[in-house]
Amino acid sequence: MATSSERPSGPGRFEEIYDAQVVAIYRFIYARVGNAPDAEDLTAQVFMRAVEQLDTTRDMGQIISWLYRVSQNAIADYWRAFYRLPVIGTDQLGPGWEPSDTTEPATASGADELPTAGHERARRQVDSLLRRLPANYRRVLELRFLQRLSVAETADRMGITRGNAKVLQYRALRKSALVAEVTDG
Amino acid sequence: MADEKDPAERFEHYLEALIGGGRPSPEDVGSPDEAGMARTAAELAAAASVAQSGAPAADPDPAFVEQLRLRMRQADQAIASVQVSLPVRGARPPAPAEPAGQLTRIRVSRRGLLQAGIGAAAGLAAGALGIAALRPQSRSRTLLGGDSPLIKGPGFWQAVAPLANVPPGGALRFTTASFAGYVVNDNGEVRALSSVCTHMGCTLYYRPDWKDLRCPCHGASFDLNGQLANGRDRWKQTGGYNGDASAYPVSLPDLARPTVMVRDGQIYVWTAQI
Repeated sequence: MATSSERPSGPGRFEEIYDAQVVAIYRFIYARVGNAPDAEDLTAQVFMRAVEQLDTTRDMGQIISWLYRVSQNAIADYWRAFYRLPVIGTDQLGPGWEPSDTTEPATASGADELPTAGHERARRQVDSLLRRLPANYRRVLELRFLQRLSVAETADRMGITRGNAKVLQYRALRKSALVAEVTDG
Repeated sequence: MADEKDPAERFEHYLEALIGGGRPSPEDVGSPDEAGMARTAAELAAAASVAQSGAPAADPDPAFVEQLRLRMRQADQAIASVQVSLPVRGARPPAPAEPAGQLTRIRVSRRGLLQAGIGAAAGLAAGALGIAALRPQSRSRTLLGGDSPLIKGPGFWQAVAPLANVPPGGALRFTTASFAGYVVNDNGEVRALSSVCTHMGCTLYYRPDWKDLRCPCHGASFDLNGQLANGRDRWKQTGGYNGDASAYPVSLPDLARPTVMVRDGQIYVWTAQI
């Protein structure tokens, strides 16, 4: 730390980090909270914390893993505080945790990845979840999440009442949560 | 189907907001089971919108990116440029030349500026509001709660430890004039937590193996967020707690979280003069 008096900090350094990482961090968070308003809030939380706490003299690799750790904590906090859930995937929170998703680069080089790769991976993710569900569960989730139909439209397509469509999607998600748990563990 | 009708009806409110791209409300989630369902639904919604290439929600809104850039720039400039003498209650600030160690002139964080009541730029205030408005105030918190500032009114930053002494997963006890606590490093995120148990005020000790603050009196354990870790709710969800024979019988408020800042490899805590 002999150079601490002329550390390369300041607005320039922060913006360099910000420009390089904001999209990846946002995607990382969005994939886990599923909506833009909350993803924006958590992204803002991460970078405002960076202004306050991040040691910008570190090299980019360390800075990036700091950002992901803080993001992971913010996401865990989000689910814990909003829904009183225990920490998400505690195995991912251990020391030295690094993001494992290839589209969410732990190194700057990953940012060069083709933008379509994320779409492919997401599609596979959805497919693998839906494939393990009974047909009517799969159908109701496809209509609501992939085709973005309303409950009324979904009920019409499936030839059931709206009330039953709501119950069906409720059960389908309960089953999905169990399936997802088994897969995670 | 009858007994599932009401929860299914309520949960649809959550889904409607989520699928519509809006902010879902935790009020529509009624149980830990439903919370797991909400998380699955959120991940599914995200994956679905990414899978349909060109979906707008997958990438940040450019306006948001620019707005956040501005907020960061303002906050960072304020931190970099404002060199304040430390305010001491009822006394004039020490003369700039006074050599009171490294504390005389330090850069003060945005939060510190606001708490110290030093005028902050409108942009900074807006930034802080943005952060404060992050989540609906659905949980009531006591005065001891983690988010209410421990020190009201004048205070100063006290250096408590070099960051290097608190590696990830580590905790270090500190004492200031007005309170004592631990600075902890939760995977790179530094926090300060009061060492006073919110049950009867016994002094907590840190257990590195469990990464918790444990009360020697009645066995409460607090996690690195300052929340009771071995209470009944958590016990039910996690099926027990680190070798404890039973759940902690009462729920306790979160530990107080003193304001903390890391600058130039040093951890500071915002404290008050006696």
